[in-house]
Amino acid sequence: MEKSNQIFLGDLNGWYIPINRWLKKIFSLVKSFLLFHDHHFIDDFIKKILFLTAISAIIAVFFIIFFLLRDGYQIFWEAGVWNFLTSSTWNPTGEPPLFGTLPLIIGTLLVMVGAMIIAVPLSIGSAIFIAEIASPRMKVVIKPAIELLAGIPSVVYGFFGLILLTDWLRVLFNQPSGSSWLAGSILLGIMALPTITSVAEDAISSVPREFKEGSLALGANHWQTIRKVVVPGALSGITAAIILGIGRAIGETMAVLMVTGNAAIIPEPIINVFSPIRTLTGTLGIEMGEVAFGSLHYHALFGVAVILLFITLIVNIIATLIINRIKGRQIPVNRKPCRKFTLRIENKLRSFQKLAFFSRFSKTLSRLRSYRTFVGCTILGFIVIGLTYSKPFLWIALLVGAVTSERFEFFIHQMRKKLFHPETVQTIAFSLITISVLIVICILALIIYEIVANGIGALNWNFLTQPPQDLGRSGGIFPAIIGTLYLVGGALIIACPVGIAAAIYLIEYTQESKLTYIIRTGVDLLNGTPSIVFGLFGFAFLVLFLKFGISLVAGQITLGLMILPTIIRTTEEALRSVPRSLREGSYALGATKWQTTWRVVLPPAMPSILTGAILSIGRAAGETAPIMFTAVIFSSKFLPSSVFDPVMALPYHLFILTTNVPGATVNKFGTALVLLLTVLSIYLIAIIIRHHYQLARAM
Amino acid sequence: MKLGERKISYSFLAIGCALVFALMASGCVSNQGSPTQTAQTTTTQIQRITVTGSTTVLPIAEKAKEAFEVNYTYADIQVSGGGSSVGVTSAGQGNAEIGMSSRDLSPEEVKNYPELVKYEIAWDAVILIVHPSNSINNLTLSQIRGIYNGTITNWNQVGGSNQAIVVVGRDSASGTRTYFSEAVMKNENFTAKQEEFNSNGGILQKIAQTPGAIGYVGLAYTEGVKAVKINVNGTMIEPTLNNVLAKTYPISRPLYLLTKGQPKGLAKQFIDFILSPEGQQIVGNVDYVPLPK
Repeated sequence: MEKSNQIFLGDLNGWYIPINRWLKKIFSLVKSFLLFHDHHFIDDFIKKILFLTAISAIIAVFFIIFFLLRDGYQIFWEAGVWNFLTSSTWNPTGEPPLFGTLPLIIGTLLVMVGAMIIAVPLSIGSAIFIAEIASPRMKVVIKPAIELLAGIPSVVYGFFGLILLTDWLRVLFNQPSGSSWLAGSILLGIMALPTITSVAEDAISSVPREFKEGSLALGANHWQTIRKVVVPGALSGITAAIILGIGRAIGETMAVLMVTGNAAIIPEPIINVFSPIRTLTGTLGIEMGEVAFGSLHYHALFGVAVILLFITLIVNIIATLIINRIKGRQIPVNRKPCRKFTLRIENKLRSFQKLAFFSRFSKTLSRLRSYRTFVGCTILGFIVIGLTYSKPFLWIALLVGAVTSERFEFFIHQMRKKLFHPETVQTIAFSLITISVLIVICILALIIYEIVANGIGALNWNFLTQPPQDLGRSGGIFPAIIGTLYLVGGALIIACPVGIAAAIYLIEYTQESKLTYIIRTGVDLLNGTPSIVFGLFGFAFLVLFLKFGISLVAGQITLGLMILPTIIRTTEEALRSVPRSLREGSYALGATKWQTTWRVVLPPAMPSILTGAILSIGRAAGETAPIMFTAVIFSSKFLPSSVFDPVMALPYHLFILTTNVPGATVNKFGTALVLLLTVLSIYLIAIIIRHHYQLARAM
Repeated sequence: MKLGERKISYSFLAIGCALVFALMASGCVSNQGSPTQTAQTTTTQIQRITVTGSTTVLPIAEKAKEAFEVNYTYADIQVSGGGSSVGVTSAGQGNAEIGMSSRDLSPEEVKNYPELVKYEIAWDAVILIVHPSNSINNLTLSQIRGIYNGTITNWNQVGGSNQAIVVVGRDSASGTRTYFSEAVMKNENFTAKQEEFNSNGGILQKIAQTPGAIGYVGLAYTEGVKAVKINVNGTMIEPTLNNVLAKTYPISRPLYLLTKGQPKGLAKQFIDFILSPEGQQIVGNVDYVPLPK
């Protein structure tokens, strides 16, 4: 310290004093950081830095909203807000042009609801299977396998959907066209599966062992323990998982626009799952690339993006309300002990026990039990409508109705009392859970088989090491592989430190307050922002406004922003799962907040944090929309020499090959396969690291 | 064990920090380096231009680039596609030397970017395709209009089998659709039940697997589908390159390259190359229609 001071003091004149003070501060900071001397100061400093990272999500959202509104307000002005939202014709190139977004809004909601009906039971079932039922060896295989689903690029999903799924639906239900609401929901459901499963599984796994042991010791069997102790204990995590899944479903662009048919009509009747449908993202996806900049149509598309953002906001607020309700029930300790309240809780608990086991597969459904009558009535209404209009729907409605309606539950409950032994219930429940896992694995196997069977022919040394020729029909994809690695690596480097730090701030350094609520809402909004909006934002802000040009760094920042919410959310969940007692122990030994966080809280949370990072890698590697306008070129002889050069990337290459180069089938699937293998190898590295940590923790 | 964990956490942090710094450093270095680099390149080595925009024009630019770079070894032409609007904006703002567009400039764009210079480089024919099993071989323009405006909903109304027509078209921002709307639809509204895709490839796939479907695509997209002949006053005109060149085939539209002001240097050489006989041959090779001689 003394020595370093002398150096600067030597050159001093009055003007430099403030700088010298700063340097001194930095020096002492570094020194005390290394020696852990001045704890208080470090903690304060770190808290400030963490706070800055935490508000980064809000800043990003603010920027995105600003740039969307800057180009979108004109349409609200021209067409009128009410007219824009509620008129039912979207015909921007007609005479006169009509901008009614009602069919698009309804389409978005319908597809999302359908996707969740498909994804939530399957993924929660899978999560329970992985966390509770699977043997350790099985777990090692199944968990990464499901995470792999997240790594399949959305373009591949889209073409899988377009080529196989819509065709099956067309033949199976004897419809003229398979492009439909149902196809969109199924595809989005599959895409949301790995996100929900992974995060929910982490939440379930992190329920303290003692809870389970306690329950088992009281004589409950395994299923009863899962149902009444483990799942309720993990509920906030599971809800977070579902929100993440909804975010993925709302924001998906490239896949959904390939299978829904994109006809801007409201299904007739509204529950006709075979009607073509158009989502808000689909509209952006298919029209944004070609629309004339500055035209009314262009402003209308930004208006659509604003609506999308608002829908995300509303979904998040509803979800937060639900979570708060659950939390309020779960931890009455946090509230003032009020006799009435306790009584109410007891009553609720009693009614909770009365619930039939069927609805328990989807915990969220049963959580809504105070709305059960409402749900029952709605379902009943659906059945009546279904009865009059469409037969296949009737069966779906009946099934859903049967599972949720109160009467049926009560009936089942009576039946169960008389007929079902807890062991039988357990067997049935476990087989249903196993079936859900099998379905997921089959979907995975099918998609991977499609890609491998069609793509293996293209794989050879030249394909991997040469630049493309003849529009990608021949030659290789070497620059695209490297480009994708650069993009994903850069995105992680930007998003990981910021995301993890933000989560640490939210969990370790603050109490729940308005500010954290705003930050979380910001994060959820960012999560629900469609990838194509990130792309547009990147183009408008980074490429044009900051004059980065189409460049590697613009793509990295755009992708980094896109994966930031996933990382924040999963890290938060990971930190929450670290038992409080560990922290208290650390504090009791005199450690500071930062020491506790760094040495006690972070290490056990590392595997879950890595899961978040893994999920993000999959998403970043496979996305086309965010890099399409910001970072990629179709072909290049040269690798980028700096971050301001554009790059080739695998998903974009695949996108161009599938959409604009006829006769490149072999190389198309070859590219998809390589993309899959690239993601797989990144996964493998991450999984090995995670495994290592888990071993360390086990010891 | 504890110690080991901590070591790993620290090493991760260290690696992370190192990478961040590396990234920042490389950014700074290249930032400072770029002006000197461009100064050098004018006299010696690699010259770089960016060509961006319409994905419809992309195959022409890409193929021309491959041939161009054989003769001009110092040239690095970077071709990318994000859509016509990206092409217009990038060229207008000067982010790319050349923009590609499959549609004409809108009034707003002309107003915003008055300096843009437009080059017509090729034509793209629009062909109607149906499933191979469809018994329909030819349609008149008014029948096509009827199908797309929703007055004809079954193939038996135009002489085919009793099967519902699945109408497939491009998105409303597409240059192809704008052209189709003017040339075939006479600006009538499309049926609301039309399914929309944003690429030729998407439409091709959809038609190839849907027996009742009809769609319109560029000339090159015929794999696995049947191209319908156009009945012009009783003459069946097949959509072939020769028929389009001879102007007997009725539906085709121009494609453009755009530059901000008159092009200079490599950009000018590249555009000249595409307009040269050799370049126009490449246009034909990728199944677009060369300019009339």
